[in-house]
Formats: sequence, C-alpha cells, structure tokens
Amino acid sequence: MQLRKLIDSTCGLRFMIDNLCTHSSYSRKIMLESSMMYDRSSIEKSYEVMKEFYQFVAQCVVPEPVEGTISGASTSSATLYLRTLQFKLCNLKDINNTISRLATSAVIDDIELYEVKSLALLSADVKNILEKISLDKIIEIPDLEEIVKILDPDGLRIATFYIYDSYSEELASLRKKLKEKEVYQEEVYNEVIRIEDEIRADLSEKLRPYSAIMVTALNALADVDINIAKALQMKEMGLCFPTLSSNNISSYKGIFHPEVKSILKNEKREYQCVDIDLSMKPLIIMGANMGGKTIVLKTLAMCQYLLQFGFGVPAESADMMIYDEIFCLTTDDQSINKGLSSFAAEMKNIDAVIKASKQNKKILALIDEPARTTNPTEGTALVSSLVKLLQDREMSLVIVTHYNIKTYNNKCLRVKGLVDGKMNYELVETHEGEVPHEALNIAETLGIDPQWIEMAKEFYVD
Amino acid sequence: MNYELKNMPFIEELIKYKSCSIVGLEKNTGKTECFNYVMQRLPLETKRVAVSSIGIDGETTDQVTKTAKPEIFLREGMYFGTSEKHYLMKRLSSELLEISDESTSLGNIVIGKALTPGKILLSGPSSSSGLVRWMDEMKKYDIDLTIIDGALSRMSLASPTVSESMILATGAAYSANINTLVQKTAFVVQMINLDITSQENCDTLNNIKNGVWAIDEEGELHDLKVASSLSININTDGLKKCKTLFVSGALTDNFVNNIRQNRIFNEAELVVRDFTKIFLTPMTYNSFVNGKRKISVLQKSKLIAVCVNPTSPNGIILDSEKLCNLLSEAIKLPVYDLKKNVCNSENSLIQHADCAS
Repeated sequence: MQLRKLIDSTCGLRFMIDNLCTHSSYSRKIMLESSMMYDRSSIEKSYEVMKEFYQFVAQCVVPEPVEGTISGASTSSATLYLRTLQFKLCNLKDINNTISRLATSAVIDDIELYEVKSLALLSADVKNILEKISLDKIIEIPDLEEIVKILDPDGLRIATFYIYDSYSEELASLRKKLKEKEVYQEEVYNEVIRIEDEIRADLSEKLRPYSAIMVTALNALADVDINIAKALQMKEMGLCFPTLSSNNISSYKGIFHPEVKSILKNEKREYQCVDIDLSMKPLIIMGANMGGKTIVLKTLAMCQYLLQFGFGVPAESADMMIYDEIFCLTTDDQSINKGLSSFAAEMKNIDAVIKASKQNKKILALIDEPARTTNPTEGTALVSSLVKLLQDREMSLVIVTHYNIKTYNNKCLRVKGLVDGKMNYELVETHEGEVPHEALNIAETLGIDPQWIEMAKEFYVD
Repeated sequence: MNYELKNMPFIEELIKYKSCSIVGLEKNTGKTECFNYVMQRLPLETKRVAVSSIGIDGETTDQVTKTAKPEIFLREGMYFGTSEKHYLMKRLSSELLEISDESTSLGNIVIGKALTPGKILLSGPSSSSGLVRWMDEMKKYDIDLTIIDGALSRMSLASPTVSESMILATGAAYSANINTLVQKTAFVVQMINLDITSQENCDTLNNIKNGVWAIDEEGELHDLKVASSLSININTDGLKKCKTLFVSGALTDNFVNNIRQNRIFNEAELVVRDFTKIFLTPMTYNSFVNGKRKISVLQKSKLIAVCVNPTSPNGIILDSEKLCNLLSEAIKLPVYDLKKNVCNSENSLIQHADCAS
C-alpha cells in the first residue's frame, strides 16, 4: 500500500503529510510512493536512521528557514548546517528520465548534461555537510566525483554547464572566430555544432557507466530530505519514537490528534490527551456524544499508519503492534456512499473486515458506530453479534457505539463525560449495560431550543 | 562597440530604465525587428542585459501568417530566458546557468548566457505574473536592463507592473490607411501617456485588488459593491459628491457610457490601475472626457519610442516618410522607421543577420 493512496483516508493523514516540510518535490514524490512496512526489521531500521537525524535536528534552532539567507549571530553551527542542507536540497530535481536515457546509450543534450552535473555537485555538497555532522554513515551518499571531473573540466565547481572550450582546442578557436564579429556566421557555427555533437557523444559515453550510481545518489539525497523533514516535524509537533510491542498489546500514553490539536491551539484551547491500550480482543468504547470517541478512533488509525511509514507518532509514548491490514470505518467517510444507501455502504465495509479476518492476517479494525443508521433493536443485535463473531480472530477490534450491546466480557471504555459542566475526555473502564445517558444534558449545554429538550425529557422519563 | 548613441536617441533613453517591453499593436508591425535593433545597440560594456519574451518568439516564420520573420540575434554576454525546447535549438554557444521552476508548454524556462553571438528562439513565461517572477529570479545575476519581447498584440505585458518603459511598434499591418493608422496609434499613445493620479490617491488605492471604489470629498473610501465595471447598476445613494472613482479591473465602454449618460460622478476623476486596463474606443473616450472629466492611472510606464513598419504582409507599402511625419506630429514624439534607418546605415547588423538567414 502506497502512502499516496492513503493520504486522503478519513483519519487525517493528509494534515501530517502537508505539514511535512520536504525541500524538493522529488523527495515528496519518493515519500508518497513509499510502501507501507509490514516487518519489524524494516520499521526498526527506518527509526534508527531517523533517530540520528532527530538528535541532530534537536540541537538546531528552527524558526522558518529563510531561503538562502543564513543570518543571526546567535545561531549554532548545527543550525547553520541544517539550513545549508535544506537550501541545497531545494535544488534536488527528479532526473530519472535523463538517467534512463543515458543508460540506454542515448547521447544526452546540454540540459541533461547540466542536470547530471548539478546532481553530482549537489551530492558532493550534501555528502560534505553530512560528514561534518557525522551523519555520513547513516545515509551514505555515493561519491560522484568522477562525474564532476568529466563535466567540470576547468574545476570551477559551479553548477552551470556548456560544452567548455577546454574539451577541444578546435572548438575554442572556432568560438574565438565567432566572437570576433558581432554577426551570425553560419558556416563557423555549423562547424561548432559538429564539434559540440562529437563532444556530447563522448561525454555521454564516459558518463554511461555511472548511471546506476546516479540513481542511488538521487534516492539517497531524497532520503536525507525526508528524514530531516520527519525529524523536524517530530520536534515541532511533539511526536514520539514508538517502540515495537512484543506481547500483542499496543499501549499509548498521551495520544493526540495533531490536526485537532492545532485547531484548538489556534482558538487558544487545550487538547486533552488520552491513554489507551489495544489487545487482540475487542475493545468497546461507549460514552457521551461530543466525547471525542471518533477522534480517538481516527488517532489510532493515524498512529498505525505513521508507524508503518516510519513517522513520529503523536503520543507521549507508544508501544505498538504491527498489522497486516488496517481498517478505519468512520462516519464521515463520504466516499463510501457511492450509489449505496448509508446502511448498505456501511454493511459492505464491515463485511470486508470480516472477509479479511478469515485470511490469516493480523488486522486493526476501527469501527465508528456500526449500524447507526438503522433501528436500535436490530442495530444492537448487529453490533453484539459482530463483537461475538470477531472476538477470537487475529484482530484488534475497536468499536464505538451508543447501543447497549452485549460485550461478552470484553473490555469496555467510556468517555468520562461532563464533569461540572465541562467535558472530560479521559477514557475510563466501564461495564456492560452502563451506556451513559447524557445526550439530553449535552444538548442543553449547546443551547438547543429548551422547549424541545424539556419535551424530550418528559418522553425519556416515560 | 562603436555605435553612436546620438544617432539612436532612444537607446540613450532606454538604458535609463531597468526594464523595457517591446509591444506591437498588431502582428507584423516590426516588433521583432525593433527588438533586434535595440539589441544591437545596447552598450554591453556597461550594462548587463537579459532578454526574454512572453510566449513564443523568434521563430523564423510567423506561426500565424506564415510570413518571414527575423530571428532574435543575441550578442556575447547577454543573459536570456527561453524554454528547454528552444534552448536546445539555439544557434549560439551559451552557458546554461539554471533551469528555473517557471514552466511553459515547451518545458521549464532555462536561463543561459551567450558565449558567442548567435541566434535564438525566445519563449519566455506565458503570463505576466510568470514574467514578473522570472525577472525577480534574474535579480541574482545583477541584471541592469531586461528587455522583453511581446507576442501578438498582448498589451498586458506592457503593464507597468512588468516593465518600467516600453517601445511601441505599429505599421501597415495595423491599418492600411495612413490616416487611420495615425489616429489609432495616436489613441494608444494617448492612453499610455495618461497622467498619474495624485500621490494621495495612489496611496489610498494601490492595494485594492477588485471592485469599483469611490473617494468622497472628505477623502473617505467607499466600496460601491460592484464586482466589475461590466456590471452596470451603480448605487450612487449618498455619493453624489465623490471626488475620485476607481475601477480596479477593466474599464469598458459600457461602464463609461453609463456614467456619462446617467450624469453621475460628474465631477469625479476616473482612475484605473494602468493603461492596459482601458478597453475604450476612441469615440467613447472622447465623448467622456469632453468637458471637465478626466481619466488617470495609478501606474505608468514610460513610452520611449514609437517604431513603424510601413510594409504589411498582404503587400501594402505605405510612404514611410509621410507616415513618420504625420504620426510624430500627432503624438509629439519621435517616430522611427527602423528598417529604413538601418538599411541606410553601413554598420547595419540587422542587414547582416538578414542576409545570413
């Protein structure tokens, strides 16, 4: 599963990706095309690399980097290196087309030669900085010095290119001739073209053996960019490095949803982080409306994706399982209703979870208010049976519901709810049959028409 | 280079500005000739020059009328911006400095520096905002003067937001009748030379991006809640005594006639951003200003010269001298027939370039 395909999932992954400050669109492309990791060792490895970058970034003062300017006497050397690195990486371009053309024995043109030269010089620069901050062993940038030698015969080390005079004496003398008169000298120029063509063919021939190493360099540079961006995001949003669980339990302390947190922050309000554990048994979350249950589900889904794509996780600490498949069925998924009624769409989606659970895969299924669109009697029956059906499968199932369902001794949580007129989002353990009845009180705090609420209360007592 | 500036008065004038766009009132009015003429005479020893165009330019035959067109001829040391495709088709040795992020349908804009004299096809950014961004990017090369060649009769490029000064090319292709040609050209020149409004008004109005606004006698600004001057109904309640009327977008015949006929804003000065926003026929303009009304602008670019091409692609050749004299009299500015001037000169480079091609 590619990151690109998941970015618009309802859990809010897009916010994380949009706030990731990669400096080259190529890095972004590579990141979006990266595949989800399913095995322990590759996730561990990716975090090992990122930790090194995080340690480096942690020393830096990071206001918004201002392109090209390195100012401020107080900035530490680490900060300067970081800014230089970011500035350099802005110049990383996707030249895979050029490289593959080169590899297939084509003669590449001036623009392509320029691109190759830029890449070679950029690699050398970035490699140099990584050495200074001792990260050169973490991401190894291949040495492209040979390419620089070929494309920079005068040793100027500037990223501009033309068929230099020093490639051929004949060319130099012809150009001299061209410069003598400020008119267009067709014959002389045709001769120049002939020699330039020869040199271009020769250069392409010399560069050809390096095409594979160029691709390696390109990807290594993108990797540096992505790791810096991820590490900066961790620092900025206060994310943590997750650990990988060894006992089939995922345990989160202080989990939060970054997008909601930032919205609240803009309104100068505090986000209440919550603690939650997942096991291979169903977990049922009940509780008042507006209690943040859906946000908890979305956060859990997002954390799982972030882990398996090697990002920082929005929590104080997280010890997490790895899953083979992740389902996050929330009520605001607009795409699911394509031509189906909301009930039918929902049933199909849950059916997909059940089918997947038969395929010997480890599954995380997060289901928000299943069967909410039908009558409570049948709804309760559907949800109770869903819990019973799935409770022994290889699955972490989290169900949010308002129905008074049978829980088969599975763990139940509820949102603490209104305490002194204020919502407390903490999740506390509860038991079957203790569905909180706070809808009317909450509606009242929202300032809904009192006549209506009063009438509802009368009905409710009856 | 020993071109005598005194024979080419407008070159001397031109190098006082940081940017200049060359605009043709019609295809085949000799804009590219004019461009080449300027190129050959710029003092490169003292000025660092960059060139680009809006859209495609410098093609050997005209894309629309298939008539012969001169190519753009660059001199050693000039900076230029052109698309990737045309960069590779260049007929000169040049150093590739940078591939910019400005993209066109022919690839990204490549910034190069000519190492030998030679010919090139110019295809710059395809919008004025792209061009402004490109010119901004070029700042790092310490460019003293940017010359921009327009495509078709895209006047928007001559907008003062893009370039400080401009050269206008007109000719038989614009109108085959000398008198009409003079009249039509004179009107454009009149619009270009509209006065800048008071500093006070400039300060108040400069940041307004859309709508129609009025300033009353107390200097207070009122939004007339008109989306553009295309909508006719203007609510003038309580605004009878407005001093200035500002139209941020296009100024159309409809709008102006409406004001005139309804006899509203009689005393007001009508302000537009710059002359490229004026889409009035001479008739509307004249009947509007007739009397005490006035149209002025927030920004103005300096019109350096008017060049004429007495030849049109369908074979009409006007009397060059008569045309120059009549036009010059009408606009009170010197008018040049470059082809004639150049052909009379022995040091002609255009001629060389033409002969070679």
